[in-house]
Amino acid sequence: MTEIRNDFEFRQKLDSLEPARQRTLAARFVESVLPLCDDERVSRVVKVAANPHASADELATALHTAKVAIIDSHARCGAECDWKDQAGYFVARAAAAAVSPAGQMAGGSAWHAAMSSRMAETCRSIDTAEDNAGQARKQQYRILSEYLTA
Amino acid sequence: MTETEFLLWVRGPAFQIATVIFVVGSIVRILEIMILGRKPNLAEARGSAVAGGLRTIITRSWPDRGTFKRSAVTLVSGYVFHAGLFVTILLFAPHILVIDEVLGISWPALPTPLVDATTVITIIALVVVLLHRIKDPVLRFLSRFQDYFVWFLTILPVITGYVAFHRIGLPPPTLIAIHILSVELLMIAFPFTKLAHAFTLFISRWYNGAIAGYRGVNS
Amino acid sequence: MSGPTLARGLNAFKEQIDAPTASFFSSCVHCGMCAEACLFFTETRDPKYTPIYKLEPLRKVWWQEYTFWGKLASTVGLSKPVTDAELTEWETLVYDSCTMCGRCTMVCPVGNDITYMIRKMREGMAASGHAPPGLIGATQRAVTIGSPMGVKYPALEAQIRHTEEEIGFSIPVDVVGADYLCTLSSMEIMNFPEYIGAIARIFHETGVSWTISSEAFEATNSGIQIGVSEIAAVLVERIVKAAEKLKVKAVISPECGHAYMAIRWEGPNLIGRPYSFKVVHILEVLDELRKAGKLRTTGKESRRLTYHDPCQISRRGGVYEQPRNLLKMVAENFVEMPDTGIMNWCCGAGGGVSANERAEVLKMKDFKRKKAQLDAVAPDALVTACANCRIQLEEGLEENHMDIPVISLTETIAEHLAGETHPEARPS
Repeated sequence: MTEIRNDFEFRQKLDSLEPARQRTLAARFVESVLPLCDDERVSRVVKVAANPHASADELATALHTAKVAIIDSHARCGAECDWKDQAGYFVARAAAAAVSPAGQMAGGSAWHAAMSSRMAETCRSIDTAEDNAGQARKQQYRILSEYLTA
Repeated sequence: MTETEFLLWVRGPAFQIATVIFVVGSIVRILEIMILGRKPNLAEARGSAVAGGLRTIITRSWPDRGTFKRSAVTLVSGYVFHAGLFVTILLFAPHILVIDEVLGISWPALPTPLVDATTVITIIALVVVLLHRIKDPVLRFLSRFQDYFVWFLTILPVITGYVAFHRIGLPPPTLIAIHILSVELLMIAFPFTKLAHAFTLFISRWYNGAIAGYRGVNS
Repeated sequence: MSGPTLARGLNAFKEQIDAPTASFFSSCVHCGMCAEACLFFTETRDPKYTPIYKLEPLRKVWWQEYTFWGKLASTVGLSKPVTDAELTEWETLVYDSCTMCGRCTMVCPVGNDITYMIRKMREGMAASGHAPPGLIGATQRAVTIGSPMGVKYPALEAQIRHTEEEIGFSIPVDVVGADYLCTLSSMEIMNFPEYIGAIARIFHETGVSWTISSEAFEATNSGIQIGVSEIAAVLVERIVKAAEKLKVKAVISPECGHAYMAIRWEGPNLIGRPYSFKVVHILEVLDELRKAGKLRTTGKESRRLTYHDPCQISRRGGVYEQPRNLLKMVAENFVEMPDTGIMNWCCGAGGGVSANERAEVLKMKDFKRKKAQLDAVAPDALVTACANCRIQLEEGLEENHMDIPVISLTETIAEHLAGETHPEARPS
């Protein structure tokens, strides 16, 4: 199992993957934070992302669904913040990143999905003042390692 | 009162009263504005308020393309009648003579047939202005008694002047007296109605340009 | 502070009326041109949204208090005072259907600054208890918690730590003697925290000395949206104190519209004294770095880009050249919208409108004006520099089934930063 020690190596390995593999990997990142999101549409999007044989049409529809989920879940201007809800917003963003066409997200869809997933974790723990940022990162390294080995 | 007495009264006491009200009223209106003052701006300036104020006084007369397209009727009819008033009031020989008598200054006049034609165009433009005010939903919604009254006071001298020049209907001295009286009515109403914009717009455009110019924006 | 009453409201109106206001009311000729400049009117065709009409109660007070005939008429009872019912009726006109975008101010032929007067009128509306509930809540949170959305420093701290992980170096907080103090908007912290990473990377690469303050990170100012200058002053004072405590040379206003207006232009006047530091918008900072040759970018966006000018930054703020200079660095296919720069159309959600749930339907209607501009330009992506505009644009585009991504200018610059090396790339 390849050991990933830091985010530079993490990102390098993500960049080396071709788009279809980035997508299915991204799906795994999002799956790990899916419980933080109430929106059932996002689960459907992730299923499409996880399918290595998803057609272009299915991906386009999934992307649209994810975008609607993002807009529905963002924090309203001036409204009292709810970090639990914000976690759901970032999960939706991660899902959208996963099904974005190659080249649309500068830096790669897997990287964006990973970052948004970590942000979802951060949001979840804000109110509880836990510090599990390190944990989320290590879990993603594990997911990547397993993915590359498989 | 005979027609001569009427004309003398209109040209004499009535004119003096109207002039006093016009001058005093205008000064009062300006003072009412300026006395309110304005707090100094403590933010660091990016541009010049003075340059902005002076610029906007002039440039606000020229709308940008998009604005022109959206308000073409208002702008065209407005400019035509303003230009028409300028020509008929200030470039008509008999008027220049009156100004010379009162203020001691004069300048060349336009040929009278030209002024005559301009008068007709001005009347048409003012009628368009009224129709537009009545028919356009925004204008109809905004307009009050004053808007229609002031319109009437504005068109009255133009019409009575035309009628007087062409000697239609009544003896010339009476027609001229009516025309002068209509101008005096306009002078009395001037400082206390929206007609005051003729001089207050220099102040409002100035402030607009100064406020924007301070921030580095050409308004 | 005593509670709101009609008397307090009318008093506030009286105090707010100054020479400019009086000159504007004196000059208005009811030409109606301001209506065609206002997106709330153009997209609904409802004459009550005519900008000058939104000021009618204020105009009445001006006439009754500060003109000869008005004073006479009201003394003898021929002119009735403004009633509470009227202010109730005007509440939706002054708050829901006005973003203080300033287009009417640019168009009035006699030069009326209607936006200036709306800002003043809101002081009286708030003092009389006629401000929208959503805004009242946001303002209360801004005062008691420090953010209109209730974002406390530990939450920002968590976002900062996350960002530090992502970018590989630390973000300065509470650094005394830094050159710049960076403020943020709650919307950015919550919805677009990647902005923090973007500025961190840009400053790291260009060698800018900066810091965030744990005591004053909130840039937005509910006080100027709702129209309560005392509160607006309190919010500005927090930033001023932090800036003085950290001895910074300048405060940076983030990608948020009214935050710039509040701290840059209204601030010193609210607190009653000039600053001992400068205030700049992030776009101004980036443009200065570009001019100095310090900001270097690589690669260009090939997609067709257009720029939405946030009203408080471009038209009302004076920062309209800088975004274009910056975009030229990274875009090879940049097109302007019809009606652009200081005459661009508002997104429809500023000035407190997006914090006002009651205005939701109207806000989506007025987006159609932006839609018309976008239909004319047909861009591949829409660039802007305000988090609130971004949300409104995204919502509007989604509602109208338009597939145009909305991107932040600062983040786009960061995406194209040249010469970055990840600290963890050092050979071990």
